[in-house]
Amino acid sequence: MVLVLALGDLHIPHRAPDLPAKFKSMLVPGKIQHIICTGNLCIKEVHDYLKSLCPDLHITRGEYDEDTRYSETKTLTIGQFKLGLCHGHQVVPWGDLDSLAMLQRQLDVDILVTGHTHQFKAYKHEGGVVINPGSATGAYSSITYDVNPSFVLMDIDGLRVVVYVYELIDGEVKVDKIDFKKTATTIHA
Amino acid sequence: MRKKGRAVPEWLNSPIWSAPPPAPAPPDPYGADLAPPLPLKPPPTPVLDTPVPPPPSYEQAVRGRERGDGEEEGGAGAAALRAHLLADFKAALSKKVVNMGELRRLACLGVPDGGAGVRPVVWKLLLGYLPTDRGLWPYELEKKRNQYSAYKEEFLLNPSEKLRRIEESKLSRKKEINIERTGLLPRLKVTNEEHPLSSGKSSLWNQYFQESEILEQIDRDVKRTHPDLPFFSAKSNQESLRRILIIFSKLNPSIRYVQGMNEVLAPLFYVFKNDPDPSSSASAEADTYFCFVELLSGFRDNYCKHLDNSSVGIRSTLSKLSQLLKRHDEELWRHMEVTTKVYPQYYAFRWITLLLTMEFSFNVCIHIWDALLGDPEGPPDTLMRVCCAMLILVRKRLLAGDFTANIQLLQHYPATNIDHLLHIANRLRGTVAS
Repeated sequence: MVLVLALGDLHIPHRAPDLPAKFKSMLVPGKIQHIICTGNLCIKEVHDYLKSLCPDLHITRGEYDEDTRYSETKTLTIGQFKLGLCHGHQVVPWGDLDSLAMLQRQLDVDILVTGHTHQFKAYKHEGGVVINPGSATGAYSSITYDVNPSFVLMDIDGLRVVVYVYELIDGEVKVDKIDFKKTATTIHA
Repeated sequence: MRKKGRAVPEWLNSPIWSAPPPAPAPPDPYGADLAPPLPLKPPPTPVLDTPVPPPPSYEQAVRGRERGDGEEEGGAGAAALRAHLLADFKAALSKKVVNMGELRRLACLGVPDGGAGVRPVVWKLLLGYLPTDRGLWPYELEKKRNQYSAYKEEFLLNPSEKLRRIEESKLSRKKEINIERTGLLPRLKVTNEEHPLSSGKSSLWNQYFQESEILEQIDRDVKRTHPDLPFFSAKSNQESLRRILIIFSKLNPSIRYVQGMNEVLAPLFYVFKNDPDPSSSASAEADTYFCFVELLSGFRDNYCKHLDNSSVGIRSTLSKLSQLLKRHDEELWRHMEVTTKVYPQYYAFRWITLLLTMEFSFNVCIHIWDALLGDPEGPPDTLMRVCCAMLILVRKRLLAGDFTANIQLLQHYPATNIDHLLHIANRLRGTVAS
């Protein structure tokens, strides 16, 4: 039972001052084992805050990040799953599922986490699952102003993953979940 | 010189109390064969006028051990005693309805080490886990062991697994969901705030995180239990101890888990797990759980923080010990409490809450527990008497010492002859309650 927090595109301080208060009150240290962040934090203070939630932090470089040392892509193994991380601005067209599938095959991972579009998406194709946690602060994106703050918490338990989607809609936190399993070769819902 | 008020009973001033433990009786921690004294005389009245020497058979047994196997009579004497006692136990246990009074009397003499397999059954009977009617044993054992399995199911799963089982039981009724090859994954509603970051009271996740602190504490203590004994380094045994303590803490929210419960649990589990009967040994965990609950029931109030200062908590227990000492040995009591100000909470806290498991070596402790469990007065009162006896046994050294020396002595209680100790404790019988 491993809890992995996936979030990104905070754009603090340029486009948003901070995470929504309701999100912040839920994110307390001690519950989460890993944090994966798609990028665009953008400053060190946000990095430190995330580090205080959980010491195991993985970040990839977004185009506005002020720390240039993050890598473009990252892969890690948690339990039985291989996760891939990439900001997504490198994949053109932005948010295009076929192109993301190509990236996923390239990285050879079961779950690919990307951002940049600031819209939550969870999509499945033959090669695996693509998850976009959206923007945790609700910052406007290059494409649209209409963004709901959202992030994702994955509960990895053996060969099964439950993805909890937290969205702030009209000032209220709404939680949904998505369930999928992995067999030896493929992923199915 | 006569003091005002009650005189110190003569038997207390007898030189036997100050004799150092006999040299040829080394406190061998593993498998020492202590020949118990002959059946005790009927319980004496609290105040005696004549000095009473320890039972003569004890001396014979000591001499027998001294000379080793060379001397026929001494060696044979000790071995014969053991065989005799073992036969007594076996006879008592083989009856269709076990006579508890007889069993208790025998238990106070100590279960002989030669007869493995006797002690687990004796302890289970003494703690009321097994009924006295032998015919009911299979039924009772079955029932209790199934109950324990149910507890494990209920309390040991983490929230992920619990939720998965709930869902699987629901899904099994629906037909197989169409496995899509590509497309957006369907989103399902989350009911009852059952998500990991929930702060709802009824949320499984929230409860899980709140209990995680206790679980960590249990984990740490289990790993530290008796590191010198290979039995407790075995992963499977540690896991068993862990499970028992977790289930106990969940079923007893008033005291949860208190550091030290692992020490009280250890001898019970050791004895039951080393039962030569394979089916008993396999279910040792379940048996230990219920016996642990039973054993702790007399001492529950000592562990409850809120009751610390009340009339039933640990402080009052300690003051009872003090009163007991005062009644039997006023001179020593005065020296301890008034002159040197060595209050019971400095030394007896550990004696009482851990039931003497940390004061003596493991094997010796198991012998003491034979008497503790077997005594008809019940473990709490018997423990009081044994603690008082421990103080009386070293009275010469205590009277000669100051605060520091006394604290040192009592916190590292010297190895002594246990039969001696239990004999003294027995003489204080009948005096705790009043």
